[in-house]
Amino acid sequence: MDREEFVLVRDMVRSLATRFGVTSADEVKPSTRTAAQQALDELGLADLRRTSPPAATAQECALLAEEHGRHPLTTSLLGTVLLAPELLRLLGDDTSRSTPTIALTRELRFPGRTPPDLVAWDSEGADSALRVTAEGAVTRVRLGSAAPSTDLVRSVRAVPSDAPVEVVGRLDPPDLLRWQAYALVVVTAELVGAAGSFVEQAVEYARVRRQYGQAIGSFQAVQHLLADATVLVEACTSVTRYAAWCLDNEPPERALTAARVAKAEVNSSALEAVYAGMQVFGGIAQTWEHIAHLYLRKVRLGATLLATTDELLAALAVPEVTR
Amino acid sequence: MTDTPLDFGDPADLDRLRREFRAWLAEHPLPERQSGEPVPVFLRRWHRLLHSGGWVGLDVPERYGGRGLTALHQVAISDELGACRAPGVPRIGYLAHALLEFGSEEQRLRFLPRMLAGDEVWCQGFSEPGAGSDLAGMSTFAERHDDHYTVRGQKLWTSYAQYSGLCLLLARTDRAAPAHKSISAFVLPLDRPGVTVRPLRAANGDDEFCELFLDDVRIEESERIGAEGVGWALAMTTVSYERNALDTGHISKYGLLVERLRRHAAEHQGGLPDGLLSRIGRCVVDYEVLVAHARRRTAERLAGQVAGPESSVDKLLMTRTEQRLYDTALEVFPAELSGEGGELFGDYLYSRAASVYGGTSQIQRNIIAKRILHLPSNG
Repeated sequence: MDREEFVLVRDMVRSLATRFGVTSADEVKPSTRTAAQQALDELGLADLRRTSPPAATAQECALLAEEHGRHPLTTSLLGTVLLAPELLRLLGDDTSRSTPTIALTRELRFPGRTPPDLVAWDSEGADSALRVTAEGAVTRVRLGSAAPSTDLVRSVRAVPSDAPVEVVGRLDPPDLLRWQAYALVVVTAELVGAAGSFVEQAVEYARVRRQYGQAIGSFQAVQHLLADATVLVEACTSVTRYAAWCLDNEPPERALTAARVAKAEVNSSALEAVYAGMQVFGGIAQTWEHIAHLYLRKVRLGATLLATTDELLAALAVPEVTR
Repeated sequence: MTDTPLDFGDPADLDRLRREFRAWLAEHPLPERQSGEPVPVFLRRWHRLLHSGGWVGLDVPERYGGRGLTALHQVAISDELGACRAPGVPRIGYLAHALLEFGSEEQRLRFLPRMLAGDEVWCQGFSEPGAGSDLAGMSTFAERHDDHYTVRGQKLWTSYAQYSGLCLLLARTDRAAPAHKSISAFVLPLDRPGVTVRPLRAANGDDEFCELFLDDVRIEESERIGAEGVGWALAMTTVSYERNALDTGHISKYGLLVERLRRHAAEHQGGLPDGLLSRIGRCVVDYEVLVAHARRRTAERLAGQVAGPESSVDKLLMTRTEQRLYDTALEVFPAELSGEGGELFGDYLYSRAASVYGGTSQIQRNIIAKRILHLPSNG
């Protein structure tokens, strides 16, 4: 996409958020989810990553995921628009007319060799889920009933263990690395958007909320708290945008390392930033009606999604084979 | 800070440069520091060797002695140096930017090529005993005469002044006007009558810091950089660059230690005490985040953004990287803590300065709060 085109697409996601972003946990209902997803589907974004060469670069997709994460949206942009279409593209499957999302283990990791219980992650509007094994075999699985998720805005569905699986194809080893790197970056980018937006909202609140006769944002203790949160968000932004660029420009091994670095940083820093934001909001952020917990839920769950900090740090501590 | 796609450079082009650099390194053995040789003298030898291969000032225009490439090329070289167990890049980026932006064409042609070549070594005369992070409290005064100034005052924390020939000096040229209108910048040759340089011994034993005493020192009008009163803007630009790890050569320094930690992790994977592998991993992440951040800043600059208050974010990230890195290194290499402490212990002590020099961490947070987040003032 050229720059104008990208700005246009991003603004479409922004305006979707104005119309369909929830303002409290009470608004998260099946009917509102369906309406929001239909509006997203009408934007026709599923083609962004469906063709080869893709219409949107990985960097552009990551920026869209970041934008999506900024708002409490119930839409499955990541699963049905960015992740599953990329899998089909890598498989060279351009005949499929279905709308799959992706399947993860119940602990929300990449499925291993013989996957146990699976869930269809980010499943709003999806009709099936694609499972990628550790060897790169891709199968299509059926969706079961809605499964609970601590990330209230995210739709997750069970995958019946006895359901027949349909073989879709097999990723060759470099494509498997590409897929894993892309999935990590897209998920990470959404968390960056969420943390960044929440900190901005806390800054806005600090400007207007008054205590002891003045705006709390004038107190140095609050200023330093928000400054530190800003530094964390900036670190997350830099490392994730660079990792996204690597997907488009570097060999898959390097792209995967960059993606792992980004996820490791975001796992801890995005969460710290949300904690700081909640501290600024104070007691109000502890209520069910306030959106703070929607951000906290997303980022807390996101910190374990696909790869935890411990796993990543241990892997990154030893030198890479390729350099 | 942009929210549209960024261009991080052409990887093939950067890879070519990396390969070219590695080939050059293979043919030019790294100098070894001789016993008793002061660090700045050793680094100057290294600086000159690098320059002879064309590896200094990659992003400086060719007419000033650079290579006319982009700052992204400079990041790649800095990154390579860290991975090749070589000493860091010469820390001149921030001084060169000050001259590029504020110097006259004549001054740029006169000073930049010699600065890049390591023929003339510069130091920075900003801080004073009564004005560290609070630059506006500066009291060194330059009194104007027909075609020259006489300067009186004292500077402090002037790194390596005893090894430098020139000083980028700030002095007040107007006692009445507010700080941002009353400070001017000068090039001061340190052998000028009236200049006394006195080294201070630092906590790590080095004599990096100096005091500078200026007793009626004559500075020609032609030695003023920019117009009278632009010293504040020049200082802000200089510190903006100084707060970026790229312009101060810190990336390669950290990269060197990160590689050492990773080699140790590879050799002792099973035998590391609990949690230490994770801490090494955290250092790798911190370092890679800093490199990615420097690349993003560079890409934003190349897209036309000028250095500003966001450099306070860079400085805090750089500080985080450095302090966690040296702290971890001492846990990984505990022998460094016994006896008198070696070079690593000295670097550890110096890492505590990261949150003080170039504006304290608290000053950086104030800048972010006021100038980036636009939070209200007290009262």
